[in-house]
Amino acid sequence: MLEIKNLHVAVEGKEILKGLSLSIAPGEVHAIMGPNGSGKSTLSYVLAGRAGYDITEGSIVYNGEDLVALAPEERAAKGVFLAMQYPVEIPGVTTMTFLKTALNSQRRARGETDLDAVGVLKLVRAKAKTLNVSEEMLKRALNVGFSGGEKKRLEILQMAIFEPKLAILDETDSGLDIDALRLVAEGVNALREPSRAMLVITHYQRLLDYIVPDRIHVLAKGRIVAEGGKELALELEAKGYEHIVGQAA
Amino acid sequence: MTLALNLDRKAQAAAVVHSHGVPHRRIEEWKYSDLKAVLGEAGLGAVVAEWLVGNLPHGVEMFDLAQPNPPAWVMAHVARPSQNVMNAASLALSAGGVAFRVPKGAAISAPLKVDFTGPGHVRALLVLEEGVSLTLVEGVGATDFRNVGFEIVLGEKASLEHVRISPNAADSVLVEEVTLHIAAGGRYRGHFAGFGSKLARMELEIALEGEGAQAHLSGVSVLDGKRHNDVTTHVVHRHGNTNSTQLFKHVAAGQSRAVYQGKVTVAKGADGSDSNQTAKALLLGDMAEADLKPELEIFADDVKCAHGAAVGDLDAESLFYLRARGIPEAEARGLLLQAFLEDAMAEIEHIDQRELVRTELLTALKAIA
Repeated sequence: MLEIKNLHVAVEGKEILKGLSLSIAPGEVHAIMGPNGSGKSTLSYVLAGRAGYDITEGSIVYNGEDLVALAPEERAAKGVFLAMQYPVEIPGVTTMTFLKTALNSQRRARGETDLDAVGVLKLVRAKAKTLNVSEEMLKRALNVGFSGGEKKRLEILQMAIFEPKLAILDETDSGLDIDALRLVAEGVNALREPSRAMLVITHYQRLLDYIVPDRIHVLAKGRIVAEGGKELALELEAKGYEHIVGQAA
Repeated sequence: MTLALNLDRKAQAAAVVHSHGVPHRRIEEWKYSDLKAVLGEAGLGAVVAEWLVGNLPHGVEMFDLAQPNPPAWVMAHVARPSQNVMNAASLALSAGGVAFRVPKGAAISAPLKVDFTGPGHVRALLVLEEGVSLTLVEGVGATDFRNVGFEIVLGEKASLEHVRISPNAADSVLVEEVTLHIAAGGRYRGHFAGFGSKLARMELEIALEGEGAQAHLSGVSVLDGKRHNDVTTHVVHRHGNTNSTQLFKHVAAGQSRAVYQGKVTVAKGADGSDSNQTAKALLLGDMAEADLKPELEIFADDVKCAHGAAVGDLDAESLFYLRARGIPEAEARGLLLQAFLEDAMAEIEHIDQRELVRTELLTALKAIA
């Protein structure tokens, strides 16, 4: 589903990713772990198509298509979803209006008809319930005054509503207490299915206790330096990044 | 020329106009709105502009200022002296206008709709007596040049909501001065939506004259092309424990220019007054301009005054967030522009009028997003 080959990315002339390769098949959950500054967030933004990230070498192929050539909104309509580490606050746009606009934009781009207000409301309510997102939250301005946990829950709610093919979770565990983490992880696990791939980006092993990956990649200084099964997370937790990164160097 | 105004006042006003001449950009208050340049040879002229009243709500009294024998309530309030040159011009150069009164005890639910049309100068007076409330909807017709001098008097605990939409009229020069006197417990809410003209200027001179008097001003403008929109306000807290707020938001594209000049004066003895001014502009493109100038003059003690102004572009991070959720760029920009204007628009309490302004804003935003 996703094939990244020898990816080099520079931000403001500084090379952050230095030859990253990664391959994810449908139904798989991969985790990317790495210390601060290793390029984890850069990878997530490049996949979502944020401006300011220059791909100087390499390729990203998504379902046989050159992902780099697509605008962010085109990627979203084709099923790429990034749950952001810091969801932005947008005063003046209610959460419900945002969800409706985004959902129908994606549907239109795929040649589907708009869902009417009642249809959207039904869909959102059904999904919101399981993620403990209240009616009151949906009426508030997007992410404005939301707690860290509420923002992350709303990201996962969007994932449930948009039903992406490739979901990238960028530090979804940051800023969450253990109850919120469990709730978010349950939401994510409920969305695991054979046709959907996930890329879970995290600094800590903690999240991977709840969202158990098929494969773990360790990112350091812009490259994948180690790969393994879920047991690699435990090794990292026990020995620290220095140990693994040092071995690879 | 049987204008039912005090002829001495007219002569005084003519003297003010004569000594100042047509305002131009070298006069500080007109720096961003060079009236003399846009009027050119034609100058101020001496034509009488027209006014139209749709349905006069039951209970509102009306008097045509061109008629003889004005009632006492007109004579008590009309044509107060002003040093404001354009206000003086509207008095000196007009031969008519309209006056309204909502007498004490009247209960008015329908809005009063007044339209000013045609070129020239015209006067208006609105008197709200003690305890009454009214919604005033002011219509602004496109024309070569028009100058409106509007006087509003709010009695004790009277409440007025004033909504004015200045249209997209690239060839028009539209100037208006509102002078407001607000007695104790009186409350004025003014909302000014502007879509820009060759030169458009709305000027408000507001005096909070009694305990608890309030003025809440808000406005939005969406400009493109070479259009201009200027809101200039001066709120004077003459009495203690008075309150004023101002919230103006502008979106300027093309080579347009948005102007906000807001001065708040807290007079000596007006202790415990509270004022807040916010003006923000988003500039779309390098040629658009916003001139935001909030000012404070404080001569009293124990006052709370805050002001701020900011000019910027759309937030790149917000734009990316919306696009990453599938919303196409133009639509995402439109949504963010609408969101930017939302709080200023939400200040309009009259639901129908708010929706009307919202619809016009959306149309204007669609054209520039």
